[in-house]
Amino acid sequence: MRVSRKNIITKCIEGLSFVNLVSSFEQVDIFLKGKIEIAFDGLDTPLLFTVEILPQYPFKSYNEETIKFINQDLLAYKHVMGNGTICIHTSHSIHLKEKLNIDFNSLKNWIVKYYINKEEDNHYEHLIVPQHCFKNNKYTFTFTNVDYEFKKHDYGFVNLKFLNNGVLGDMSVTNFLTDSFVNSSGKELASCKWSLFYKSNPQKYHGIYIFVESPPAFHDRFVLLNWENFVDVFKLDFLKFLHHCEKDYINKKLKGQVIPLYIGYNIPNSEIHWQVALLEVGKFPIEGVKEHKKWITELTHGQITWAISHNVSYSYFFGRGAFSENITKKKILIIGIGAIGSIVARTLVKSGSLKIDLCDYDIKEPENVCRAEFQFANGLTDKVDELKSLLSLTSPFVEVRSVNQIYFESISKALFNDPNARKELEEFINSYDTIFDCTTDNDLMHVINQLKLSCDVINLSITNKAQELVCAFYPNIYGFVTHQFEKVLKQDTEDMYNPTGCWSPTFKASYNDINLLVQYALKHINLLYQKDLPKNNFVIETGSEIAFKLKLKEF
Amino acid sequence: MNITKSEHLENVLQTHRMTHIEDLLKKYREKRQDIKEAIEAEYSSDIYNPLNSGSYAKHTAINSKFDLDVMIPFKRDAFMTLEEMFNDIFDFLQEKYGSVAEVIKQKVSIGIEFYADDNGDIISIDIVPGRELNTGQYEDDHKLNLYVNSNYGELEAQSYIQTNIHAQIDHIKSKDNERKIIRLFKVWKTTNNENYKSFLLELITIKAFDKENIKGNLWEKLKAVMEYIRDHITKDNFTLKDPGNGGNDIADTLEDYEKRNLSNKMKNMLERIEDNEDNLKHYFPTNPDFEDEDKNGNGYGKKSGAASLFSRPPKNERFG
Repeated sequence: MRVSRKNIITKCIEGLSFVNLVSSFEQVDIFLKGKIEIAFDGLDTPLLFTVEILPQYPFKSYNEETIKFINQDLLAYKHVMGNGTICIHTSHSIHLKEKLNIDFNSLKNWIVKYYINKEEDNHYEHLIVPQHCFKNNKYTFTFTNVDYEFKKHDYGFVNLKFLNNGVLGDMSVTNFLTDSFVNSSGKELASCKWSLFYKSNPQKYHGIYIFVESPPAFHDRFVLLNWENFVDVFKLDFLKFLHHCEKDYINKKLKGQVIPLYIGYNIPNSEIHWQVALLEVGKFPIEGVKEHKKWITELTHGQITWAISHNVSYSYFFGRGAFSENITKKKILIIGIGAIGSIVARTLVKSGSLKIDLCDYDIKEPENVCRAEFQFANGLTDKVDELKSLLSLTSPFVEVRSVNQIYFESISKALFNDPNARKELEEFINSYDTIFDCTTDNDLMHVINQLKLSCDVINLSITNKAQELVCAFYPNIYGFVTHQFEKVLKQDTEDMYNPTGCWSPTFKASYNDINLLVQYALKHINLLYQKDLPKNNFVIETGSEIAFKLKLKEF
Repeated sequence: MNITKSEHLENVLQTHRMTHIEDLLKKYREKRQDIKEAIEAEYSSDIYNPLNSGSYAKHTAINSKFDLDVMIPFKRDAFMTLEEMFNDIFDFLQEKYGSVAEVIKQKVSIGIEFYADDNGDIISIDIVPGRELNTGQYEDDHKLNLYVNSNYGELEAQSYIQTNIHAQIDHIKSKDNERKIIRLFKVWKTTNNENYKSFLLELITIKAFDKENIKGNLWEKLKAVMEYIRDHITKDNFTLKDPGNGGNDIADTLEDYEKRNLSNKMKNMLERIEDNEDNLKHYFPTNPDFEDEDKNGNGYGKKSGAASLFSRPPKNERFG
């Protein structure tokens, strides 16, 4: 006869020396629920837990354990969720008995570490904040660190920029960027560090801020949930300010609309964090109270509606991975934004670059989309214009500008033998730290190689079918690249893509073919900059079509 | 490659010979003579006979990039300090040639680069002032102290360096094989914008021939020297003694990472040439100004894409 899951679990738990079954496991809705007591040497008083086991157990679900150990009395201890669930992340096992053994031992470890020894973690965790909605809509507010030291009880206004409307879970969401903080007289105190693209967004909104210094929390971990908890935190003049603001909003016929209240406090590493409460105009949590024949403003009781707030400073945005600062902090110019150039641009931006200028005379046509970083939806546009927009949409920190393409395509060549024009061109190019020449224009390559430059120039091009990628560094560009293409690399230029109605055949290669080579090249270039290694020219070979393998050959 | 590697390298040396630029060289010699005479007139009894030095004197010069060097041996009591000597001759040359040339203080020499003449030729002469160590000693052993212009390079560089140009020239005398390799390295260094000092490449080449049994054709000899550099430059006890000053180890002028880079460079070059012989032409190109057209009838130097068909990209087309 097949032994029931409940019996296996019960028997297994009974077999654990430090666990006593207090009440047997029963099926309650989808849970198998029971009560246990943990007792072992070193633990003065046994601890009681409700245990809830989901049907998925021992598998995880939504990246969470499907067994819950719950004790509401332990909220004051580290890694306990608001409902009293102990937060454990344990080893993977698909075997029920083994997993039970692992999880109960993890619970025991938590008790030793955080209940008995009261250990502190080095890693800071943000307050646990419920995600409320306001009139069936969620709100998010992102901000960056700013160059300003807020003092306790500072208050004023927050300028916001609308980001977008979307869907979050089963609800609509409105996303805002924090633009700047101004004092109650309207003087700007601090500005968030977004790119001009976002800063110049005309859709402006605003909110109110107060800096309270200490985290608005109980047990150092859970955000306060009722306005009455702020009675000792908000001073009278701030409440008066709130009252005046609300009166003003009502006069402007904004009754019923949402006003975000940023509540700031210090966190480790000299940073501040903002939690954002949502106030409804006409229902601010304040009331007028007559005291000694004078009206004063007091906080009322009531649940706080919390929004979602995010610190999206550069260090967090690119915290998971970025290129070396020897690249990202440099002023970069990309000339030629076809397949290679647009992939270079997109990768640099995704890897943290802050200043990128683009130059190309070409227009983007639908056929370009399949292997370059462009989108069909934008129709026929200037390549620079579209890529500028795409890059700005990708990173809120990159400043992208377009460069007068006539300069490179026409003037630089026409006036190449004029010393003054050449000097001017040198000065212009030297105003950058790094140039990526992805034009495949041999004449421009020659022009640039002839200049006296103090900046880095990196030239990238590929052969038909993306069989090889050639990368050359100034000042060894023209001779090397032409020699490779003329003498060394054996490319087939007969099998080209030659669509009907087109006089100009183009090379064959997919996005995958090109991107693979460009990413490998960029990875190598990043390494050279990161480790300050000599910038030797290199060729990446892919081998034959039936025996594909990448090989980087340095010269 | 339609010709052998050795044939190509012989061609490289041939097209880089100084004899191709006899007319230009004549201008150089005249300028050098003019400067020598001016210095002799100015300093007369304070100096010994000026001496031609540098690559031209050592027969290791190449025609694509060179200058002429003149060593001026000052007597011990001509100046109180080496710095005074250096500044005094600089002031003199500046006064004398400042209106027709750029006169600049370099690390141990004073460079005189004449403005382009009617044919567009720019003549460049380096003057290296040195002072004997003790009164009259130069005539016995030719040792000199050079002033090291510390403003030019490293902050904590020493203020003087001892040298012996005669010994340096003797060191390479009658070493035809070594000279060929040194000239090839100069071609490599010039066309690939490498910063390694010619003197270092000269000494390491001579040492390679001295330590290893290097024989065979020109490519085999070059390859052997490149392998020697690849395998030895990074070794802890590797030294390159200056024949003009036994206490001066030229290998020490490279930082450890620069030695690693040079070794790596040789490794890359050897591997790339092994991969494809045509890469040899990238590292060691002929001087196109002096190529013998008849010799190149086999296709060398011809652009393969030049005759491509209308509306089909040439073979050398780049894409991106």
